[in-house]
Amino acid sequence: MKSIHLRVNGQAVERDIPDNTLLIDLLRNGLDLTGTKEGCSVGVCGACTVLLDGKPVSSCLTLAVTADGCEVTTIEGLAEGDRLHPLQKAFIDYGGFQCGICTPGQIMSAKALLDENPHPSKDEIQSWMMGNLCRCTGYYKIIASIQAVADGKVTP
Amino acid sequence: MANLASVGQPAGHVEGPSKVTGQARYTADIRLPGLLYGKCLRSPFPHARIVSIDTSQAKALAGVHAVITGSELPDRRIGRFFLDKPVLARDVVRFVGEKVVAVAAESMDIAEEALTRIAVEYEALPAVFDPVEAMQQDAPRVHADTSTYTHPPVPDFVHPGDDRLYPDIPNVVSQVFYTHGDIEAGFAQATREFTHTFTIPPVHQGYIEPHASVVQIEPDGKVNLWISNKTPFVARAQFAAALGVTEDRVCVNTAPIGGDFGGKGSLMDSVVCYHLAAVAGRPVKMVMTYTEELLAGNPRHPAVITLRTGVDADGRIVARKARLVFSCGAYSAFTPLHTVHGSVHAAGPYRMPNVEIEVFRVYTNTVPAGHMRAPGAPQIVFGVESHMDLIAQELGLDPLEFRLRNTLIEGDAAPLGEKWEKIRCKETLEAAAKEAKWDTEKAANIGRGIGMYDREPGAFGPSSATLSIAADAALTLMTGAADTGTGSYTVLQQVVAEELQIPLESVRVVQGSTDSAPWEVGAGGSRLTHMAGQATLAAVRKLKQGLTAFAARHMESPQEQVTYRAGEFVNTNGQRLALPTLTAALADREELPLRYTGEYVAEDPVDVTSFCAQIAEVEVDPTTGQVTLKKLTTAHDVGTVLNPLTHQGQVEGGAIQGVGHALTEHLIVQDGAVTNVHLGDYKLPTSMDIPELKTVLVESGAGPAPYAGKAIGEHSNVAIPAAVANAVFDAVGVRLMDLPVTAEKVYAALREKNVIAKSDE
Repeated sequence: MKSIHLRVNGQAVERDIPDNTLLIDLLRNGLDLTGTKEGCSVGVCGACTVLLDGKPVSSCLTLAVTADGCEVTTIEGLAEGDRLHPLQKAFIDYGGFQCGICTPGQIMSAKALLDENPHPSKDEIQSWMMGNLCRCTGYYKIIASIQAVADGKVTP
Repeated sequence: MANLASVGQPAGHVEGPSKVTGQARYTADIRLPGLLYGKCLRSPFPHARIVSIDTSQAKALAGVHAVITGSELPDRRIGRFFLDKPVLARDVVRFVGEKVVAVAAESMDIAEEALTRIAVEYEALPAVFDPVEAMQQDAPRVHADTSTYTHPPVPDFVHPGDDRLYPDIPNVVSQVFYTHGDIEAGFAQATREFTHTFTIPPVHQGYIEPHASVVQIEPDGKVNLWISNKTPFVARAQFAAALGVTEDRVCVNTAPIGGDFGGKGSLMDSVVCYHLAAVAGRPVKMVMTYTEELLAGNPRHPAVITLRTGVDADGRIVARKARLVFSCGAYSAFTPLHTVHGSVHAAGPYRMPNVEIEVFRVYTNTVPAGHMRAPGAPQIVFGVESHMDLIAQELGLDPLEFRLRNTLIEGDAAPLGEKWEKIRCKETLEAAAKEAKWDTEKAANIGRGIGMYDREPGAFGPSSATLSIAADAALTLMTGAADTGTGSYTVLQQVVAEELQIPLESVRVVQGSTDSAPWEVGAGGSRLTHMAGQATLAAVRKLKQGLTAFAARHMESPQEQVTYRAGEFVNTNGQRLALPTLTAALADREELPLRYTGEYVAEDPVDVTSFCAQIAEVEVDPTTGQVTLKKLTTAHDVGTVLNPLTHQGQVEGGAIQGVGHALTEHLIVQDGAVTNVHLGDYKLPTSMDIPELKTVLVESGAGPAPYAGKAIGEHSNVAIPAAVANAVFDAVGVRLMDLPVTAEKVYAALREKNVIAKSDE
């Protein structure tokens, strides 16, 4: 067991957890933040992407103890009340999701991209998003959704 | 369509906010007090007798609340139509990955630990993996005795055919014939004949949400089920039958579906989950890992497709004989009843007077197959469209020209005799060819290839929907259909808004559980826009009529003098009554909420189809065999497009599934076991794998859905593998007869071709 202290979506969290606890299980089972989804469990599909101190990680491959002292941002941390983050709004308006299971991961990866590079080219978006699989959309509208935010076409 | 306000406009998903904020609770997200986690020990053998099972060490582990084996369960087989699958293996295992023992524990870690403490002794039996080998007299029998297996009667079939279930051929589950014309007379007219055989491996649906089930049993025995299943009412019937209880003892609750593509129509782990919950006396959740999905999900049927075609001196097809052999794996429980639906497409969208199609579904000791987007069609169309190019090449005809000579045109009967209105096959192909610049020059190692397909809008089963109105005039449509991500709720919302001429936002769409929603077949077979759309339309019209009567009473006018328009009622005196005023008055009289249920049943099949023509442009690296898909043109014959945003989403998503099927995806089966069992090895397309995509919509102005809409969900994924293989041939002159079109295969074929070319010099 290990004691960890971290901030999740701005809230302080303290937990005693077994050393082998995965970050995804801490979030989903420990904190009931089930917006973070588990798809492949091996770090390929990107559905479990969260931001760890601003960087995108696969929470299915990240031990929760490595988040000790860090800030974790999940999909639940983006909207301010009913006010959606521009990426969230864009994914609705531009058809960036269908079934929605990969969407939290897509949006968290896209946020990391825009935080680092607010005006990426289409190629940069396509390349950055390679680690987030989507089986519904064929990616075209995901890319368009992110591009719309980057181009300032989406107001929150 | 003139003057439509909501229908025809791009609309984002009505359930969007819950999905983009992480609030939507999918089945795996459900938490209940006292919830346990279930897990199964699976067979490592493709075919073996179970000699003994020792679960004592697992039962002794702290935190384990249930351990069950097949012999402890009622001897009742489960399925969708064919009831041939035990809930847990009894006496015999028939594929690698079959469930043998199930445990429920306080955490997933404990459940997994418990599985390692179970000892099963097996005695290996001879196994068979290839469906053609399985049909030979000396083949091992996957099921020693099928005489006790049950299935519902074969319904009247759409096409003239002859169905035989469990015929006297080893391992064959069903043998189906489709015939039209006189096949022998047809071949007698032919000046040339061509025969080719194609093989297609199994592929997985690739939804990102693995199957999940949650079962909670109430003190009175009522069973609450949450399941990633797109057809809740059908699931309820199958689940109740599997438990041996009446349907009213089961409620299938709602949860979003995290991708379906045909694969989310089975009971999967739910029945095991029930038995664990019953033994443990606590609710149980089971979520498959993706490894379990790839090893033991319900993938697309692998197939061996043999086509023989006779052509006359003018390059017109006069006869087609097809022999389609599908492996359904070890069980037929979650495959279609008599055949694989796509079998009818062995004739393609071409004029051919004489056709005979023979379809076999065969047991093998491999993962049981299920449904996947346009079941059977991509396998068959890969064969049919590759065969078309092979024939064109032999005849010295351009592949486009050969198809144009044979495509269906207005007034033609389809190859199996269906009569369709507004045939736009040739127009769709010509539109694709124009957009793809078929006739323009190509650089070295660049090639273009065509694939064609058609599919009718789904029309099976009844649909229903209930529309209610509240005191503030807020409208809620309740449907029993799950939205698998296609945007079906949004289309239904548009239909209500359109019909009442009110803003989209004033209509809520909710999915009801099987206890609260009216009966509905659910998603599948490209049916929802048509069927649920019409049921919704019927509900709105009833509501309009019902409210008009109330309005007339309120306005003290004869009902025939009151009409509804855009949120208000008007009588012939020009007196107006706003809808919220009426509903507030009705609320005061305690006459709310009002509910109107619309029901719909259609003629099946409908009298229109939708054609699809696709052209792939590839570049092949002749030194490595690497195929790069540069451009994809997809042309569709459509009716009124109710929601352009989601319609195009279906086109794009389907197309990229087709790209995966063409180039990278296959379940690699060795000695019966799937060996590429994680998404690092099973290659779904990524954002870097998508080509330039051009979509062309050819409007035919006819369709059975509201406002003359048709279907789009199962079109764009089908013909792409053939288009890509044909393009590779066009680029470098090598022909692949099996999928996927990998660099390794192209490289080997290029080497072989070059060796032969050198020896000819």
